[in-house]
Formats: sequence, C-alpha cells, structure tokens
Amino acid sequence: MLDDLTAAREQMAFSLSFHIIFAVLGVGMPWLMLWAEWRGLRTGDTHWTALARRWSKAVAVLFAVGAVSGTVLSVEFGLLWPEFMARFGSAFGISFTLESFAFFLEAIFLALYLYGWDRLSPRAHLLCGVPVAVSGVASAGFVTTANAWMNGPVGLVRGPDGELISTEPLGPFLAPTTGPQVTHMVLAAFLCTGLAVAAVYAVAMLRDPAKRDGYHRRGFAAGAVMGLSLAVPQALVGDWATRAVAEYQPAKFAAMEGVEHTEDGVPFSLGPWEIPNLLSLLLKFDPDARISGLDVVPAADRPPVSVTHVSFQVMIGIGVALIALAAYTAWAWYRDQGRGAHPADRRGLLIAMAVAGPAPFVALIAGWIVTEVGRQPWIVYRVMRTPEALTSQTGLETYLYVTIAVYLALSVALVAILRRIAAGPRPTTERTLEGSAA
Amino acid sequence: MTASDLLALLVLAGLTAYTVLGGADFGAGLWDLTRSRRQRDLVVRAMGPVWEANHVWLIFVLIALFSGFPGGFAVLSRSLTGPLSIALLGIVLRGAAFAFRQYGAPHGGPPVRGTALWGRIFAVSSLITPFAFGAAAGGITGGTLRADGSAGLLRPFLAPLPLASGLLAVAACAFIAAVYLTTDAYRSGESELVARLRARALASGLLAGALALLALPLLPDAFADRLAWPAVAVSVVSGGLALELMRRGWFGLARVAAAGAPAGLLCGWALALYPWALPGYAMLSPAPPATAGLIVGVLTAGLLLVVPSYVFMIRVLRADAD
Ligand code: HDD
Ligand code: HEM
Ligand code: HEM
Repeated sequence: MLDDLTAAREQMAFSLSFHIIFAVLGVGMPWLMLWAEWRGLRTGDTHWTALARRWSKAVAVLFAVGAVSGTVLSVEFGLLWPEFMARFGSAFGISFTLESFAFFLEAIFLALYLYGWDRLSPRAHLLCGVPVAVSGVASAGFVTTANAWMNGPVGLVRGPDGELISTEPLGPFLAPTTGPQVTHMVLAAFLCTGLAVAAVYAVAMLRDPAKRDGYHRRGFAAGAVMGLSLAVPQALVGDWATRAVAEYQPAKFAAMEGVEHTEDGVPFSLGPWEIPNLLSLLLKFDPDARISGLDVVPAADRPPVSVTHVSFQVMIGIGVALIALAAYTAWAWYRDQGRGAHPADRRGLLIAMAVAGPAPFVALIAGWIVTEVGRQPWIVYRVMRTPEALTSQTGLETYLYVTIAVYLALSVALVAILRRIAAGPRPTTERTLEGSAA
Repeated sequence: MTASDLLALLVLAGLTAYTVLGGADFGAGLWDLTRSRRQRDLVVRAMGPVWEANHVWLIFVLIALFSGFPGGFAVLSRSLTGPLSIALLGIVLRGAAFAFRQYGAPHGGPPVRGTALWGRIFAVSSLITPFAFGAAAGGITGGTLRADGSAGLLRPFLAPLPLASGLLAVAACAFIAAVYLTTDAYRSGESELVARLRARALASGLLAGALALLALPLLPDAFADRLAWPAVAVSVVSGGLALELMRRGWFGLARVAAAGAPAGLLCGWALALYPWALPGYAMLSPAPPATAGLIVGVLTAGLLLVVPSYVFMIRVLRADAD
C-alpha cells in the first residue's frame, strides 16, 4: 500500500516523465523537418524532401500523445496539489499563460504544415514550419521557468510577521536558476531528438546493409549532427547549473554530490572512482576550498540523498560518454572524408549510435529527478512543504495504477504505428522553391 | 469593471470556444460509431487538421483559471475530482486513439493490428468526456459540492441535475457535429451522407432541446433566479433557427446558428455562477490585481495573434477539401 503522499508524488513523477519524452521530440523534430525540407527545396534532392515528409507523419502522432499527456499534467496540478495551486497558481501563472499561446501557435501551424503539403506553395509551407519550431522551444522554456521558480522562489511579498501576502507575477523569469535550467532543458531537447533520429537510421542500416543509401545516410547524419554537436555545450551549461545549485540550494547540491559533512578539500566521485580534492577544485577553483555538506540544513529539511546522488552520477556519466562519442564521430568523419567514404559505412559507429539513442533520454529523466527529488521536502523551496500541498481526496494509489496502465497501452500502440510509418513506401515528390513538380 | 472581471470574461470566451469547437470534435467522435465507412472517413477528414488546435482551448481555460483564480481552481479541482478524472481519461484515450486510428490504417496496405479497437475507443471516449464535463457543471449548479471534496468523489454527481446536464452536453456535441459534418458532406458532394447526417442533426437537436427543458426545473431556485435570461433566450432562438435552417438545407447559416445554442446556454449559466466557484458557498478568489492585469494583457495580446492564425488555418485547409 502506498500512502497518498507517495502515490501523488509517484503519479506526478510518472506522468511528467511520460510527457517529457514526447515534449522533447516536439521541440526538436520541427527543426529537423525544417532543415530537411529546406535542403530539399534548395538542392532539389528528393531524399531530403522524402525525409521531411516521413518525419512530419511521425510528428503528427507524437504530437497527439504529447498534447494529451500535457493536458493530464495541467489538470493533475489541481487534482493532486490543490493547496499549491491555490497559493501559487498565479505566481507562475504568467509562464503558463505565455505557454498556452505557444501551444496554440504550435497546434495551428503544425496542422498547416501536416495537411498543407499539397495545398500551400513550397515556400509558404516551409514558412509554416517556422512558428512550429519556435513555439516548441518557447513552450519548453516557459514551463522550465515555472519549475525554476519552484526551486528558487523570488518576488515573494511578505507581511510584517513574515507571512506571505502575494507574489510578483514576473518571478519565474527572475529566479536564480532560470537561466541555466532553461538553457540546459532546451539543449537537452535537441540532444534527445538528434540522437533518437540517428539511432533509428543506424538500426535500419545495421539490420539491412542495402539500406546504407542516400536516404538513410542523410537521416542518420542530420540526427547525429544535431545531437552530437551539443554534447560539449550541454556539459558546459550543466556546469553552470551546478554552480547555481551550489550557491542557491546547498542541500540539493550536497545530496547531488553525496557530501554528508561540511569539509575542506572534498574529493570528487564518479561511480566507483574517487579523485581527492577535485570537487573543491571544480567548484571553487581551489583544491582546499570548503564545501557545505548536508549538515548545513536541519535533518527535516534534507532531500533523499541516494536517489539524488545516483541520478546525478547517471546524468554526468552519460554526458561524458556522449562527449567521447562526439569526438570519435568527428574524427571518423574527418578521416572518411579524406578517403571519399562515409562514416555510416563503419559498423562500429552505427552500433555506437544505435546504443546512444536512448542515452540522452535517460540523462533527461535522471536530470529531472535530481532537480525534483533534490528539492524535497519542499514543493516551493523554503516556502511550502510538499505534504502541505497535497489534496484532501484519498485513494490516490488507484489513480497511479490507472495512469500507468493507460500509458503503457498507449506506448505499445504508438510503437506499432511508428514502425508502420517507418516501413511505408517512401514518398518521392520533387519540389523546388518555385513550385512542386510532382 | 476590474481586471478580474475581464479575466473572467476571457475564461468564459475560452470556455465557449471549447464548448463549440471542441464539442464539435467530440460529437464527430460520436458519429464515428457507425457502420458507414464513408461517414467514418468524413469524420477523419473533418477532424484531422483541427482537433488539436480546438483542444488547446481547454488548456487555455485551465491555465487562465489557475493563474487568474488560483483559489477557485483549487476548490473546483478538489470538489470535481471524480468527473474531472473521468474526463481526463476520456481526453487521453480520445486524442491518442484518433491519431492511432488515422495513421494506423493508411491508404493502401493493411491496418496495424488493433487499429479497429482504437477506432471504437475513440468513439466511446468521445461520449464519456462531454458527459463527465456536463455532469461536473451540473454538480456545481446543484449546490451539494463541498470545497474540500468531502461531498464525495462521484456520489454528488449521481443526482438528476448532473445526470441530465451530462446527457445534455452529449446531445449538444452530437448536434453541433452533425450540423458541421452535414456541411462538409454537402461541400464534397456526397448527397447520400448529407441526407443521413441531416436527419441525425435534426434528431439530436430536438433531443438536446428537450434535455435542456428537462434540466431547467431541476435548477435550485437561488440559481435559477440568477440565470441570465437574455443569454438563455439567445440559446433557444439559435437552436430553433438552426433546426429550421437545417430542414431547409441552408447549411452554411445553420452552422452559425447551431453554435449559438450551446454558447448561449453556457454563457447564461456562467454569468449566473460568477463570482462563485460553488454557488453561494465558495468564491473564485481572484489573483492580486497586478497579476490579474498582466494576465489579461498577455491573454489579449495572445488572442490577437492566435485568432487570425486560426482563421487562416481553416481557410487554407478547407480551400481544397472539395
Ligand atoms: C540530455 C540530457 C542531459 C545531459 C547530457 C546532461 N543533463 Fe543535466 N539536466 C538535464 C539533462 C541533461 C535535464 C533537462 O533533465 C535537467 C533537469 C532540470 C533542468 O533544468 O535540466 C538537468 C538538470 C541538471 C542539474 C540540476 C539543475 C537544478 O536543479 O536546478 C544539474 C546541476 C545538471 N543538470 C548538471 C549537468 C552536468 C554537469 C552535465 C554534464 C555532462 C549534465 N547535466 C548533462
Ligand atoms: C520541462 C518540462 C516540459 C517541457 C519541455 C514541455 C514541453 C512541451 C511541448 C514541446 C509540448 C508540445 C506538444 C508536443 O510536441 O508533444 C507540450 C505540450 C503540452 N504540455 Fe508540456 N512540457 C513540459 C512540462 C509540462 C508541464 C509541467 C505541464 C503542465 C502543467 C505541461 C503542459 C502541457 C500541455 C497542456 C501540452 C499540450 C499542448 C497542446 O495541445 O499543444 N507540460 N509540452
Ligand atoms: C518534465 C520533466 C519533469 C520530471 C521528469 C519531473 C519529475 C518529478 C519527480 C520525480 C517528482 C517527485 C519528487 C519527489 O517526490 O521526491 C516531481 C514532483 C513535482 N514536480 Fe516535477 N518533474 C519535471 C518537471 C516539472 C515541471 C516543469 C514542473 C512545474 C512547472 C514540475 C512540478 C512538480 C510538482 C508540482 C511536483 C510535486 C511536488 C513535489 O514532490 O515536490 N515538475 N517531479
């Protein structure tokens, strides 16, 4: 038996994780589609146009699941955490209000894009993709500001006795972790999309060497470039995020790094390895610097350490591995170019990219676990505790199981349909900027 | 008029848009429960491009409510947990099922296994969702709900008024959808479908009218006294007009009139409710004026961008439908 608080948290965690998988594809895919369509128009290369068309079908299905799972979240906020919404709904209201328009524009222009292939001129069609791509990024940015505010609430208006009277509406844009969180999230979306797409084509080419043709190579390359080129920037932004957390959320930081006691010259650990004094050096540029441990906050205010720590390690591990993969791919590409070959002819690289496909998604969920579990026991950091926010309705365990069952069924059907879309006959229309010549 | 009054009007505008546009999509789902292959194809063609944009109105309403009326949002969430959860399940299943059904059975080639089942799920969830929303509205009106949800998860909704308003919502969706689909069938010259759908529009319209009349005497007196009668009159007149226009075959005009019937009823109800979340018992509790003002500004600016885009989309995607 789960108690209601645990059930509510698991429900939130599960439905957010499900949603974000579609959300990141909704952020990244439109950019890839635009790129492919534009290349096709510019060069008359039918492979690119075919890719853009194929991707747009997959996006239609993914978008539908993203939209309904997002709706679940906005209702769930009220169903599970009504006290939180009653007190702070308007505090991050602006973020979500702006987001709702991003959704509108995304849905409207995506419809034009999906159904307008043969009804709009190629140029107008391409232009319709632009608002889709921009609003996807905007919606990811806006929700993340709301979360950043929960991690570092600013703009609280307090009365003479310190009681909370109201909140400033622009708080989410001014929260201390807004900058790194938004950037890190948007980059994560591109990383996930790119590597997922590359993995799909890598698997196809591994299964059937006859598929190492122009079409699959282009799909593979577009995804790989988008994903791998961001591996290093993502780690740099992650470093920025780490510093922001260390400064503003010391307990979360201590849990992430697994530092129990405040000490000087703290070692850095990754998996089974430990390097003396490195954490102090990394964070403060001084090997002997003092790092605060969990003991800086009372025991009742400490987050669960092991989940936070392990998730953080998983994220970093994957981040580092992706950098290594990016370096190897760049080297392979450089070598092969000189010999007139293509990196997709390397079986080893294809296998590595196939394996790397799911990795950024794991890092994504792990990163969110760091952020959300590391914030505990607060729903709004140092302002409201999570149990205070919980609904008075009981039996929340049932909701959790129903949600899991429904989402599992959706996932199974979704995979079957995406495979069908991938296997269907390849569209071969020729289009140029001047008009279609079907 | 204060910023929160304006905000309430914007919420109502969003709710009306969702009722009419989203309602038409739910209704189309109901008319998908048929053996007629051509009718089902028509439903896919009509809904495919628009349903997601129409669905965003619901998100608009939710977000505007929790940003602008956080206290009211919490009260409604707690007291409506039962019907809202059911509606949510319906929304998830309907949206996903529609996409699966649409892309799982491509032209040429056998459908993916399970696609027919998703087709049924699509139709059934299109029935459950408006029923749950209607029952929620009836529950609010009935006055038995409690702000902390202590009246029960489902019990308060198993009363004559919520059940009648649930059925009314379903009938209204079926009616709007039948009117819209008739027009679409007429445009693409499918005269047999036009006849079928027209008969269904007339039947569901009469049913919706009858259910509305049935629900009126069930209203608590205090609520009935506050009902905005001009809005209700708009509803009655538009409903009657829509039926007559359908009978005569003036489908374009019937579309407009058909939207007026549920919209009028909804506005009459919402104006009677405001500024309460649960009538006579819990207020909507607006956000501080500075926040409310800013939200009104953002919502207005956003709508100025979204509405023309929406109209443009409809124009483009309808242009070649025939
Ligand atoms: C592709 C996914 C991905 C990858 C490769 C990384 N991250 Fe990350 N990380 C995320 C995806 C992510 C995220 C999108 O899941 C989070 C959750 C909340 C957020 O804003 O970004 C996140 C959060 C997050 C946080 C917590 C922020 C907070 O609570 O305010 C820190 C400190 C880092 N990351 C640091 C890193 C470092 C040092 C990495 C080094 C390689 C790294 N991340 C790679
Ligand atoms: C950081 C986490 C999140 C990101 C990056 C994100 C991003 C997105 C994106 C890109 C979409 C477009 C749909 C798609 O392409 O699949 C979307 C849809 C949606 N999201 Fe999220 N989201 C996040 C979390 C949330 C949360 C916490 C909520 C609600 C409280 C939410 C509510 C919604 C809603 C209602 C939709 C549907 C919009 C539509 O119909 O177009 N999202 N989200
Ligand atoms: C989409 C990526 C996200 C994931 C995977 C995620 C994950 C989680 C997890 C694991 C929890 C449970 C924490 C615990 O009980 O220890 C949680 C709680 C929560 N998250 Fe997130 N989160 C995400 C984004 C967001 C965003 C963008 C928001 C708000 C704008 C948000 C709001 C909440 C709330 C309100 C809770 C419940 C209260 C709490 O336990 O603190 N989350 N989330």
